[in-house]
Amino acid sequence: MNNKEWRLIGSGVPIFDAKNKVTGKTRYTGDIKLPHMLYGKLVLSDKAHARVLSIDTSEAEKLEGVRAIATPFNTSSKKYNSALRFVDHDIPKTETIFSQTVRFVGDRICAVAAVDQKTADKAAKLIRVEYEELPAVLSIEEAMAEGAIQLHDNVSNHLNEIKVSVGDVEKGFREADFIFEDEYETPIVSPMAMENHVSIADFDDEGKLTVYSSTQNSFAIRNILSDVFDLPQSKVRVIKPTLGGAFGSKIPAVLEGPAAALSMMTRQPVMLNFTRKETLVASRTRHGAKIRLKTGINKDGTIVAQAYDVLTNTGAYVGSAYNVVGAMSHKVFKSYRIPNISYTGAAVLTNLPIAGAMRGYGSPQAIFAQQRQLHAIAKRLDMDIVTLQRKNLVTPETVDPVKMGSPRPLDCMERGMELFGWEDKLKWKENKNTINNGTDKQEQTDSRRNVKRGVGFAIGCHGNGVYGAHRDFIGLRLKMNDDGTFVLETGTHDMGNSLITSQMMIVAEELQAQVNDISAVEADTDLTPWNLGDYSSRGIFVTGSACLKLAYAMKDLIIEMASAMFQEPVENLSLVPYRKVRSTLGKEASFQEIFVYAQREHETDMLAQVSFGSLAARTSFGAHFVQVEVDTQTKEVHLLDYVAVHDVGKAINRMSLEGQLEGGIQMGLGYALSEQMTFDDQGRLINNNLKKYKMFTASMMPEIKIDFVEEGDSPGPYGGKSIGECATVPVAPAVVNAVADALGYDFHTMPIDVEGIKLMETLES
Amino acid sequence: MEPLILNINHRNYQIFQVEKNETLLSVLRYRLDITGPKEGCSTGDCGACKVLLDGVAVNACTTLAHRCAGKTIITIEGIADAGNLHPLQTAFVEKGAVQCGFCTPGMIISAKALLDVNPKPSRDEIRKALDNNLCRCTGYVKIVDAIEEAAEMMRKDDHE
Repeated sequence: MNNKEWRLIGSGVPIFDAKNKVTGKTRYTGDIKLPHMLYGKLVLSDKAHARVLSIDTSEAEKLEGVRAIATPFNTSSKKYNSALRFVDHDIPKTETIFSQTVRFVGDRICAVAAVDQKTADKAAKLIRVEYEELPAVLSIEEAMAEGAIQLHDNVSNHLNEIKVSVGDVEKGFREADFIFEDEYETPIVSPMAMENHVSIADFDDEGKLTVYSSTQNSFAIRNILSDVFDLPQSKVRVIKPTLGGAFGSKIPAVLEGPAAALSMMTRQPVMLNFTRKETLVASRTRHGAKIRLKTGINKDGTIVAQAYDVLTNTGAYVGSAYNVVGAMSHKVFKSYRIPNISYTGAAVLTNLPIAGAMRGYGSPQAIFAQQRQLHAIAKRLDMDIVTLQRKNLVTPETVDPVKMGSPRPLDCMERGMELFGWEDKLKWKENKNTINNGTDKQEQTDSRRNVKRGVGFAIGCHGNGVYGAHRDFIGLRLKMNDDGTFVLETGTHDMGNSLITSQMMIVAEELQAQVNDISAVEADTDLTPWNLGDYSSRGIFVTGSACLKLAYAMKDLIIEMASAMFQEPVENLSLVPYRKVRSTLGKEASFQEIFVYAQREHETDMLAQVSFGSLAARTSFGAHFVQVEVDTQTKEVHLLDYVAVHDVGKAINRMSLEGQLEGGIQMGLGYALSEQMTFDDQGRLINNNLKKYKMFTASMMPEIKIDFVEEGDSPGPYGGKSIGECATVPVAPAVVNAVADALGYDFHTMPIDVEGIKLMETLES
Repeated sequence: MEPLILNINHRNYQIFQVEKNETLLSVLRYRLDITGPKEGCSTGDCGACKVLLDGVAVNACTTLAHRCAGKTIITIEGIADAGNLHPLQTAFVEKGAVQCGFCTPGMIISAKALLDVNPKPSRDEIRKALDNNLCRCTGYVKIVDAIEEAAEMMRKDDHE
């Protein structure tokens, strides 16, 4: 399949709306201004756990320009789960639009709508909330302690465990030559899309609620709004304008409900947007996790048994709590040929901000433990980590091809070693250590004598779609215009990841068109066919496949119409560039001519529509290599070289693959070295702005070399698999392994910032 | 209260009843519908709202509007020349430096400020010039590539 020559597939095509983005023309949700639009402001809890006894709005109401104040007492209090995926999705409902019992600092209490933002902000400050404080549980341990206060009455703090296993783990451990047990902890971090969450709700006099929102999940948001406000879905429309990044944080319903409540009260459009601080505390975080990992290994390096015991901190409400530990359970089985594995995972409710989806969805936590421990085991047993990986990684020959396809983590590792110069870098280190032996005179006088170098790598994996968990479905429509160009109606949400561009490329490739010949209508629940939502790395694997099916359907329509037009059998006909049909007898017609013929002679539209359900699971893999320098005095880590190689099956849009990978690396580097949401003893976020919450900046980035393994056999389009989430999975363990190599410390936590290294020094001494 | 007169993208705007503490970003976005500069943090940390103020890249979210009187303000909307993209904009498109695009206006403004004073920056100099511009999508890699490319395009244009 890969030998075919493609015009577009595999090339690099800029994101479809790049020109509007570079000139400032793009309208994100926050740039929309509807006539008579009001501006909203939320009042968020400053208590970690409390009953709201009363809300005094009298001063705020007196302020000129205030139009409405929505509170738990005058707004629907119907419970919902903000991470609902489809109408019959059965997950615990614990959230309401406004909370009468606040469960974290940042919980929504009420909201004001006013004629401008300044007035709304001022009014929100005038609202007085009277609380009755309740004990708060701010950690997994506190929440699980005997007698701990329970956050909700319909679920316990310690949510139901998910258990999965293969083989006989106990037997595996009994037979293993060595057993290692380690506990790892990963931090709570923020997805931190550059665009803060924002929604505009517009409830009109026909009783129709239209919501423009920065969402990845329009159809699920419609389900939630329809349920909470008791509106038929014909009276709820959710539209996604251009998204300024998402990374999972824009899957759940966050601002749509409060904005709708205000609009229903005022019968005017209301825009509600988060400030950066509000996005940090009141949108979603990545689950912090504690992972106990027990590994049984033989003298020859064969891993014979592995047991994962995971607890995640899911914050104050049950959003995607079950889904994240559930998704995590799949990932630990994918990379290695381990005959006996067990996984037990549970989410724990605490009085902290709500954890949800974030790029990787459980993989970054589990794979950190997996890859960190594997490197530590290699060191403890004085084994070569490369040999250890080679001995255990899956290969296409060692798996059931029906279930796993052609997994190539080993090829990623081998190619990565080559690009990185792994052997040379190891030799350099060995030589340096023997020559200097710590007493070399030149070394002593070297101004950089406090600098230690290290290398590390990690293998990561992530899925493609949600097959196996539940339905994985999308409908698509393609309309031919009068001139033979096309409009694609797709319920997908481009987050900047070129999801729409890839769909255009696939349609254009198959219909012998150019990318510019296709325009797209994106997620709009009244207009586009149903789509599950853009998460789980579905973009290429599921939507791309659907798009291929759609292009074939349109191709059939065109050929059939041309066959009637030419009076020739369809076997004679084929599509040729650009947008033409040619017969073996030499007849030719443009799509425009065919459209005109169809309209004039048959009074029919050229409209293709498909439904596509994904019926396969595949895993994407990546191997990341990094060289670091650690200054033992300042405790600063500098990144020197970085290499990332990913098994993507087949590159669809090479430019966006590279871009996704580079962005995933930035996110992972922060996870490893600088990012962590820290809370005080009252549950308040300490680093609540971008000065204190440290994302990687341009000058902190290493030079990055990238390559792809393209040996696709996957059911994805042209053999393609995902990159979006997988991109960030191997980063943190690779970096921490390299720092561990440089300093000789056996890290079990992240981030490895100055405090992290100091803590290790204390522990080691 | 005297109206505030601001020169934005080579046009004068009269803005009424501007309070002392109103930011330039608020005037641009809410009063004039110049929405190219983005509000990402309001604390001067993300750079999405950058504009050129007398040629210097500043955060509009922490710049008071009334301090800009008498100065030249260029926003992302004023970078292209009558519909012709600036080389920086062309390079951002072609090199794949644009993903979600929310940081893009600020990135291009910072890059323009850099290239106006340093037409041949090293990759490290480019990175340093972007240190007050945050991006979550690109890892900055293709942004740095695009700025390098644009610098080269602009040097060629100067020679021709």
